[in-house]
Amino acid sequence: MGKIDNPVRIKKILVANRGEIAVRIMRSCREMGIETVAVYSDADRSSLHVRYANEAYHIGPSASSESYLRMEKILEVALKSGADAIHPGYGFLSENSMFARKCTEAGIKFIGPSAESIEAMGDKISARKRMIAAGVPVVPGTTEKIVDEEEAIRIIRGIGLPVMIKASAGGGGKGMRLVKKEEDIKPSIRSAKSEAKTAFGDDALYIEKYIESPHHIEFQVLADRYGDAVHLFERECSVQRRHQKVIEETPSPIMTPEVREKMGACAVAATKAANYEGAGTIEFIVDDQLNFYFLEMNTRLQVEHPITERVVGVDLVREQIRVAEGFPLPFKQKDLKMNGHSMECRIYAEDTDNNFMPNPGKITHITEPMGLGVRCDGYIHEGYTIPIYYDPMISKLIIWGRTREEVIERMRRALFEYKISGVKTSIKYLLKIMETPDFRNGTYNTHFIEKNEEFLSNKINCDKHCEDIALIAAFIEHSSRLQKAKEVIPHERGHGLKGWLHRGRRAGMMRL
Amino acid sequence: MMQLELKVNDRNAIVKEIRRKGNLVTLSVDNKIYEVDIDKVSGEEYSILSEGKSHNVEVIPTDDPKVYRVNTIFFAFDVSVNDAEARYMQKRKKKDADGTTDTIKSPMPGKVVKVLVQKGEHVEKGQTVVVLSAMKMESEYKAGCDGVVSKVAVKEGDTVDGNQLLVIIGKDAKKK
Repeated sequence: MGKIDNPVRIKKILVANRGEIAVRIMRSCREMGIETVAVYSDADRSSLHVRYANEAYHIGPSASSESYLRMEKILEVALKSGADAIHPGYGFLSENSMFARKCTEAGIKFIGPSAESIEAMGDKISARKRMIAAGVPVVPGTTEKIVDEEEAIRIIRGIGLPVMIKASAGGGGKGMRLVKKEEDIKPSIRSAKSEAKTAFGDDALYIEKYIESPHHIEFQVLADRYGDAVHLFERECSVQRRHQKVIEETPSPIMTPEVREKMGACAVAATKAANYEGAGTIEFIVDDQLNFYFLEMNTRLQVEHPITERVVGVDLVREQIRVAEGFPLPFKQKDLKMNGHSMECRIYAEDTDNNFMPNPGKITHITEPMGLGVRCDGYIHEGYTIPIYYDPMISKLIIWGRTREEVIERMRRALFEYKISGVKTSIKYLLKIMETPDFRNGTYNTHFIEKNEEFLSNKINCDKHCEDIALIAAFIEHSSRLQKAKEVIPHERGHGLKGWLHRGRRAGMMRL
Repeated sequence: MMQLELKVNDRNAIVKEIRRKGNLVTLSVDNKIYEVDIDKVSGEEYSILSEGKSHNVEVIPTDDPKVYRVNTIFFAFDVSVNDAEARYMQKRKKKDADGTTDTIKSPMPGKVVKVLVQKGEHVEKGQTVVVLSAMKMESEYKAGCDGVVSKVAVKEGDTVDGNQLLVIIGKDAKKK
């Protein structure tokens, strides 16, 4: 470890984000006595982050390209408000190396890694090369085009079956062949080549190890500017729908202490190889035999960071800020332990019965769950209109318990308590996941949603009784409206108005 | 005594109030008798105690004063009041039901990304007429029948509310 600089305390942070993550970051700032600056678009004037911050500045129209993605405008606000640092959150400008560079040039600390680290890890090929050099396993495969059949066979034998053959010029599944058996190697190469030739006019191939029943497991890392790095264990993120994470948990139900140690060491090596600073995530693809391969690095805070915070007992935003201030990491790897189990459900404003169509709109009622082991990271409130311009994720429900079983039961309880009216949400879908045997048993991978589609699509029949309850509720509502409409009339009686006029007025007033 | 004919899914049910004393209501749904304790806890939320069970039910009014959206924890129903007036209106609205015309409305708030047809244009069933975007996801709205576009109510860049009229497809006059 080199010389420790004199840390420079940050006094004011501009949070270049919106929604739950903006509020989440400001919470840590408030605890640390750091002032916060919010930026907002037209659609977000009444959003919680604007009211939570010490200062707030309008930065443009609702579309994110005209507001939250405007680097110059955000920097202008940072300079005007006297912010020392910018926290980008996730999404928007968080992995934009140009923005990181512009911040540095403007003399404002970008809370995250250097522009060079973002660039190095953002480019898949350069990241892969760096990882191979650092001894981190990557998905075995070719990086050069293969045209010769004999060479292809030699490579496939080297990688080991099963493999995926892809057309080098490919896309859309054309020229793609999954090879599981020895005798299929030659025919598959030939048919892939001819298909690629017809589809793209190029029969060059690319060969990659095929990972059966893959798990998506990532490691949280933290690094300081002096070259020290630690990992804060894994997060299992295999419950995904259309590559969108739905539920994350830690520890992973398939992890063993030995593999954790190996993967953790690789995550730390990867972090150091990227000259990384701050909080980051190393994503791995893991097969059923717990062979793991580096997938990519996310050079920012993740949506699902709270489950790590809950199990490890570290405030990741606080540590990001401390590192940005120039402090060395306050702990060594051996100081970090996992305590119990944690799980996060992402609550989306979407209609899970109708092809998961986004469902923005006005919140008429909200009751958030509470009680032991429950954390709710959200930003919506009663009367708030969820804008149409941004991500449909409205809240994250984070549960802690001593064991996985306890966490699942507590999650079911909390999801039951969580009431949001006015927009449709994924809450009942998440409840169904909690009941799915593969999930309960921890025997799931990234095919989970696909595999359990029927169970999850909630085709349990509503019996006559539950229909009756709905009818009773509608009956009471409608009859009380009719009653109220009648009550409006009496005081007008005796004014000589004719009956038909009453009726006309009544109908006009109540539109019944 | 209040009696209403209510439609839920494909079922027409007669709901009759027999007795009411404060929150305690006795009613019949078709021929089944229910004694319930019903309390409106907030603007749209009811707590119903029936046969010892506790049900939380949301009753949300819609644009149509005779239609309510009723949500229980796992189910969502559209319940409509089927009275003489409603039946009359239903008959008048039947136009679309025979499949020769189509009224396309937005199912959710969003922004109009593309309008792919013009007034007077012939369209085929299944043809995309409008593309809406909400929360980073685009959805296509398609013609429900062959016909001629008789009205385009939105333009590209417009922001629309849920249930707002987008396009009307009318009968093709030339076709018989």
